[in-house]
Amino acid sequence: MCWYHWIAITSLIFSVALFSYQFARLVIPGRPDDLSVSSGSVTKGVVYSFTKAMAPGAKESAYLHMPTYAGGIIYHLGTFLSLVLFFVLLAGFPSLNNPLRTIFSVLLFISFFAGFAILIKRIINKDLKSLSGLDDYISNVVTSLVQLFTAIYLLVPGAEILYYLSVALFFIWLPLGKTKHLLFFFFARYHLGFFYGWRGTWPQKSE
Amino acid sequence: MQKIDKVKRDKALELLKSGSDSKLLTHLNACVRCGLCAGSCMFYIAHKQSKFIPAKKVDLVSSVYRRYCTSMGKIAPALVNAKDLDDSMAEEMVDLLFGSCTMCGRCVKHCSIGVDIAYIVRKGREMLSAMDMVPASLQATVDSALRTGNNMAIPTEEFVDTIKWMEEELIDEMGDNNARIPLDEPHKNVFYTLNPREPKFFPLSISAIAKIFYAAGENWTISSRFYDVTNYGFFNGNKEQATVIARNLYDEIHKLRGNVLVLGECGHGTRANRWEGPNYLQKSYDFDMTTAVELIADYIRQGRIKLDKTLNKELVTIHDPCNLVRNGGLLEEIRFVVKSAADNFTEMNPHGNENYCCGGGGGMLAMSEYNDRRLKIGEIKANQIRATGAKVVITPCHNCVDQLSQLNHTYKLGIKIKTIAELVADALVIEK
Repeated sequence: MCWYHWIAITSLIFSVALFSYQFARLVIPGRPDDLSVSSGSVTKGVVYSFTKAMAPGAKESAYLHMPTYAGGIIYHLGTFLSLVLFFVLLAGFPSLNNPLRTIFSVLLFISFFAGFAILIKRIINKDLKSLSGLDDYISNVVTSLVQLFTAIYLLVPGAEILYYLSVALFFIWLPLGKTKHLLFFFFARYHLGFFYGWRGTWPQKSE
Repeated sequence: MQKIDKVKRDKALELLKSGSDSKLLTHLNACVRCGLCAGSCMFYIAHKQSKFIPAKKVDLVSSVYRRYCTSMGKIAPALVNAKDLDDSMAEEMVDLLFGSCTMCGRCVKHCSIGVDIAYIVRKGREMLSAMDMVPASLQATVDSALRTGNNMAIPTEEFVDTIKWMEEELIDEMGDNNARIPLDEPHKNVFYTLNPREPKFFPLSISAIAKIFYAAGENWTISSRFYDVTNYGFFNGNKEQATVIARNLYDEIHKLRGNVLVLGECGHGTRANRWEGPNYLQKSYDFDMTTAVELIADYIRQGRIKLDKTLNKELVTIHDPCNLVRNGGLLEEIRFVVKSAADNFTEMNPHGNENYCCGGGGGMLAMSEYNDRRLKIGEIKANQIRATGAKVVITPCHNCVDQLSQLNHTYKLGIKIKTIAELVADALVIEK
């Protein structure tokens, strides 16, 4: 392994360590205390929160903004694909043949452009711009770069150093910036499911 | 002159440093500022200003959290959008967290992540309360409740007179000298509570519920001192004050040895007592608690009251109070009662868990400094009502009744606004 492999691995360890710490802080307090008398089911509420409540038809943030929603989904799929490919490429997985590399590369170029479009929207949309700070731009750029350099490295082996450095940057930023929603998203859905499930709002009985 | 000193700021920041609160930690860290919540917020829809985007309100609180409670925020605040809690930040928080959010939670359901935006807004209000920055009008309402036992500071004599007057009306209407509105009677099954707007402005809603109790043969009472179901301590962010107000009802039902605390038709009052009350007092309640809506639904199901819905012929629609439906799970129960009592019913679009707030929630009705904003956001509700063609709007919340009445006047809707009890009372078949 070369120095840039080690930098990427060290960054990964940093990321995992920080996420583990944050995970422990979220889990150790245990189930929320609520002394009121529930009129629903927390389990059903949480399941609903992760399933039907996430459906595009259930959220205005999805069905009123389909292009952005679709772009966001593609962008996130690209991010997860990049993460998987990092381990595959680092291990030098033999089955990653040329046709597969090309397919993954094309998919990642698409997801990169989805992320880029989201970045452009953040820059030119008055409302989004007013909400944004450095974290928002950095988070987008480091995530998009990983996808771009993964796509390039799959086709151009000479881009190896740039690829691993972009991965390292991504792993360092991941638990620091808003990209940490990788972890907090799941807890947000849990707590929301708990809240609505406890009160009998989710799942909606008449659905 | 500086409004917040170090002592006040530290008190506010302490509220964000609860390391053992998973929910707080989660929602302070989960927002990605995608801004897609904008279209779900009536303040943004009505005013089209960036500052009203719900994510902006979350960011006010979470940026302060990052500045003082995270390593990155302390080392390189600009990198992670961390901001100082200074006078200008606090003033912006007052304007947006008190003056631009009813905590209806509509944005929460539609958030792409699932951030409990209303919960974070409430946390921000707690911070402002810790810094003595609650709008004076809202604080005055809480102070009235603390001082007199009800938020409108109605003297006990005046309240008793109103109840006696309503009792005489009930006796006349029922033609029965045994028809009563019992005050301060011990060992009753139902301990009923009221929104002080009822004795003050809408006494007929008291006679409506009394008529229903009479028809059901219920064994009930009202306290002459602690009957107020509301708790504006839920809105001003002062948990100590909210606890004192919640304890008033808790102690009173024990004093009168009632069986069931029945929460009158009030959205936030129901939430503050049913869902928050035991947590304010840090104990499980040793008596049952239900809402007027659920109690009436039970009467109908058990055949304790008989209704003739042809007595309510006009087209009715429902305005769902946020704290009873989206935040309280009573969607189906409200519809069961209304459909049992009205011949001609139509839904608003959207309705139920998707419903828009009337605009009077979150303490907005008490904060006169935001009247213009409140009436402007209410236009969304006015348009919803107009689109139904309904002549009567039913809502089991007196704060909503108040706001809807103002919308009726402002937007010339020409509708009647009724509580559930009033609708049911009009459909009652009294068997003599």
